[in-house]
Amino acid sequence: MTGLPLSLFALTTGLALILIGLFGMLTQKHIIRMIIGFSLMDTGVHLVMVAIGYVTGGTAPIINDAVPAADAVARVVDPVPSALVLTAIVIGLGVTAVMLAFAIRIYRAKKTLNIDACSESRW
Amino acid sequence: MIRRLLIFVTLLLTAAIFARLALNYTEHTQLSKLATHYAGQGPAELGAPNLVTAVVVTYRGLDTLGEVTVLFISAAGVGLMLRRRQQVAVEAEDKKPSSEIVVTAAQLLLPMVFLFGVYVFVNGHLSPGGGFQGGAIIAAGSLLLLLTLPGAELRQRLIAVTESLSGFGYVVIGVLGVILAGGFLDNRIMSLGTYGTLFSAGAIPIIYTLVGLKVGAELSAVLGRFRDTGEQ
Amino acid sequence: MGELIGSGIILLGSVFLFSAGLGVLRMPDAYNRIQTGTKATTLGTMLVLLGLAVLHPAWTWKLLILMFFVLLTNPVSSHALARAAHRIHTPEADETVVDQLEEEEQKAAAAAREDSA
Repeated sequence: MTGLPLSLFALTTGLALILIGLFGMLTQKHIIRMIIGFSLMDTGVHLVMVAIGYVTGGTAPIINDAVPAADAVARVVDPVPSALVLTAIVIGLGVTAVMLAFAIRIYRAKKTLNIDACSESRW
Repeated sequence: MIRRLLIFVTLLLTAAIFARLALNYTEHTQLSKLATHYAGQGPAELGAPNLVTAVVVTYRGLDTLGEVTVLFISAAGVGLMLRRRQQVAVEAEDKKPSSEIVVTAAQLLLPMVFLFGVYVFVNGHLSPGGGFQGGAIIAAGSLLLLLTLPGAELRQRLIAVTESLSGFGYVVIGVLGVILAGGFLDNRIMSLGTYGTLFSAGAIPIIYTLVGLKVGAELSAVLGRFRDTGEQ
Repeated sequence: MGELIGSGIILLGSVFLFSAGLGVLRMPDAYNRIQTGTKATTLGTMLVLLGLAVLHPAWTWKLLILMFFVLLTNPVSSHALARAAHRIHTPEADETVVDQLEEEEQKAAAAAREDSA
């Protein structure tokens, strides 16, 4: 246990979440469950991105009394993946909101939330 | 049957790719060259202790502008798809009022939640936080309002005006950066101030305040739109 | 020595949190689950925060504010959930003997009918 790097746990958790979300999206028929699977995949991707930015023994990238500017480069974690994930979380929220609005319109048109009722696009 | 087999094979292949990723993973022992520049020169150039804020607002400011646009488009899309047919008056008989405990606790908590959200985005350059996080907290506060007081109406005009003015102000500050300082969204249009105080880091607090207000107003509008669809 | 006490309190808190999870799994109907979930998790969270305060005395006031916040919001939210579950007629367990909320609502409805009639 002591030999494994810390970010490997976060990485494997993120990858497992992506797999679980993918499984949910592929096998479920209920639209809300598919949306939840998509949200899980989103969270998994964010975890993977943050885990990759970890530097061994690093601390949060905030330069104040705790981490003076002189040894900032030696001690902080990579700030760029955190910034990218900040953006990604907000965009994931926007996409989920649009998906839920679609689900409401589908329910109004078909009176059911089963994906099998929307067969017009199927070939 | 064949469908289940295909799904299983897909998941198996994806898991194989991920396993290869995880097994060949070695942690970084030092920062990459880009991160070294951000960590070394960031506080001196920009005057912001929080490096993630410095990256999001200044070094990668154009991405943030694009993200604010995407959020606006998604809110507009939700508003378009869930358009109100007519001004639906809330039917009072069907809505039982919330119990007294819930209403009292909500009245206690709402000011605290809004104050905390404002604190998070005003102090975005000093401690972990920032505009998007603060905006999400404000939207959580308005969600609390919508859930506990069934007849509560959000003020549509106030939200729309806040959202538009904040987005407009964000672009205006960006253009001011071109006129007065190095480039678009440069934060040195205002003085960098004393390191670590509230009014430091140039225009970063202003940019993040505008972003926080915009995100909070947008998400509140989306939540209000979802709540109103239940009455039709 | 302080570390031992603090870690012991955190361990006790995690025992309560575990029993909350066990309760949510084993209880027969929704209302029982809400009750075990809230009571045990509130106490468990507060004990964990108290243990942290013993381990890091510099954070005591912040942790006290956190404890107050948890104590204020957790029971209120479970109250709202339980009322909502009762409103949509979530089925109760077979062993249920008394339903006071149902009796009160019927009394209120009868009084309202008498007023309008």
